[in-house]
Amino acid sequence: MSNVIETAGLSKEYGNVYRVKDVDLLVPEGAIYGFLGPNGAGKSTTLKMVLGLAKPTAGEISVFGKRVNSKNRLENLKNVGSLIESPSYYGHLTGAENLQIFQTLRGVPKNNIDEVLKIVRLDNQKHKKVSQYSLGMKQRLGLASALLGYPKLLILDEPTNGLDPAGIQEMRELIQSLPQKFGMTVVVSSHLLSEIDQLATRVGIIREGELVYQDSLMKLHQYSQQHLAVRTMNNEVTKSFLSQNGVAWEAQDDYLIIPQMKDSMMAEISKVLGQNNIGLVRIEERKKSLEDIFLELTGTAVSL
Amino acid sequence: MREAIGMEALKTKGRKIWLVVAVMMGVQMLWAGWAISNKDANDLVQGWLFFLYQFPMLNCIIMPVIAAVVASRLCEVEHKGQTFKLLETIVPANRIFDAKFIWGSIYMFGAALGQVAIMIGMGLMLHFGGPVPWGALGGYLFFTLAVSLTIYAFQQVVSMLFANQMVPMTLGLVGGFIGLFSMFFPQGFQKFILWSYYGVLMQIGMNWDQNTRAIDFYWTAIDWSGFVLLFVFFGLIYGIGRILFVRREV
Ligand SMILES: Nc1ncnc2c1ncn2[C@@H]1O[C@H](COP(=O)(O)OP(=O)(O)OP(=O)(O)O)[C@@H](O)[C@H]1O
Ligand SMILES: [Mg+2]
Repeated sequence: MSNVIETAGLSKEYGNVYRVKDVDLLVPEGAIYGFLGPNGAGKSTTLKMVLGLAKPTAGEISVFGKRVNSKNRLENLKNVGSLIESPSYYGHLTGAENLQIFQTLRGVPKNNIDEVLKIVRLDNQKHKKVSQYSLGMKQRLGLASALLGYPKLLILDEPTNGLDPAGIQEMRELIQSLPQKFGMTVVVSSHLLSEIDQLATRVGIIREGELVYQDSLMKLHQYSQQHLAVRTMNNEVTKSFLSQNGVAWEAQDDYLIIPQMKDSMMAEISKVLGQNNIGLVRIEERKKSLEDIFLELTGTAVSL
Repeated sequence: MREAIGMEALKTKGRKIWLVVAVMMGVQMLWAGWAISNKDANDLVQGWLFFLYQFPMLNCIIMPVIAAVVASRLCEVEHKGQTFKLLETIVPANRIFDAKFIWGSIYMFGAALGQVAIMIGMGLMLHFGGPVPWGALGGYLFFTLAVSLTIYAFQQVVSMLFANQMVPMTLGLVGGFIGLFSMFFPQGFQKFILWSYYGVLMQIGMNWDQNTRAIDFYWTAIDWSGFVLLFVFFGLIYGIGRILFVRREV
């Protein structure tokens, strides 16, 4: 499988501070790539650089396997639809007129306007001025603009911004259907793990400008495997005992966290501890939630 | 490019930009009517010269206001709806800039043409001396347009770069007043102020006899060096402004 987006050492400096630093983004073809990070992590900045709206301080970007430069940029972007931060629209014009502008400039068939309006379910409101649209409707119009040319790559920056739960659900289903229906690759950014969890096939997590995780969503779930937490009368001796026997441990409050293991193995450990007069007082099963992992990776609480 | 200009036309739907031009033309007509109303038959012999002298004077303030309002009306919809970040993924930024300029210049052309129409209409109605001076009116149209487009270019640059349209509006008004007062500055100095070029490129001079209190208008040679300088102004404003717009990150 080839990569639709590939960046190498992508960095952006704003006033002497690197807001995006050495990001190696890899978005495989056909993926729904969830780009996660707390507020101000650098998601929008990264996506803007991919779109050529912001100039990288350093690094390279390839889209559809072609190295992007200022000359081929727009040619490359013909197959890219985008919605960055907030929808772009002319408030004094109707939804249909708005799409007409972008359709004409893109040079795509006029029929696409009605098609994408149907896809985002705005066909009943297309003759209404956009200034009278609700935030959710504007957001959907933004998605319609992005879809106009049926691009191979769709970049959506926080597309559920301002949507109510029903709208979020609808948007999620819509995004999920795009790869199969139109063969699109989708990049969706969000600061909500739960949102990406139900949507993405691949996840990139950015924190303070650095990509701290990038892999399949499945791998991320594996991090949330169960662990065992044990407490003994003498944790210090237990630690060295565990190390001697090649069991990884991590101290946490009064507990030692060890990997999940077979019952027989655990029985063996408790027996040896007993022989050494170390009372085993607690064995608990613990499960890290995805939220915990996100928290660990990003160092901040998941914002709602 | 054709599409980009056509879309500029669509964007102006319901924005009532021609109304702005029409209102300013109305002001100019009222003022011309008032200025000519206290002239006697003797003065009207020089009616064409009087108009060709007075209109550029008034333009120092009228045209910058039109340019500021039109540029601002055309650009504020882009800022309001944050459309540049979408447009610039579809159309090269310099083409966005050019299309807007071409569309905006139509209004400036309309205003200049309107002024000529006002002059001809009033001249014929009030039976000014001599035939209609087509050549001089053509010159007036040409120079008025040249100055107005340069001022418009300036206004567009500022309107595109600043989301807050108070900035270009204020600059436009201040420029207009400087242009108006620059009539009292020495000729050499005037040429450094963009807004005073309506005066610099005037085809008429005026003598005022202190004893008889008579005003006498006469034809002057066109200041072609001033025109060349204006052209340089235009090139600099348009060139630098466009580069700034293209380089700007959204
Ligand atoms: N034009 C700019 N000038 C200076 N700093 C900027 C600029 N744009 C972004 N930043 C800074 O870069 C950092 C990353 O911003 P960015 O918008 O990419 O974050 P984000 O991950 O999209 O956050 P959010 O979830 O809030 O949208 C922030 O600290 C922001 O203040
Ligand atoms: Mg953002």
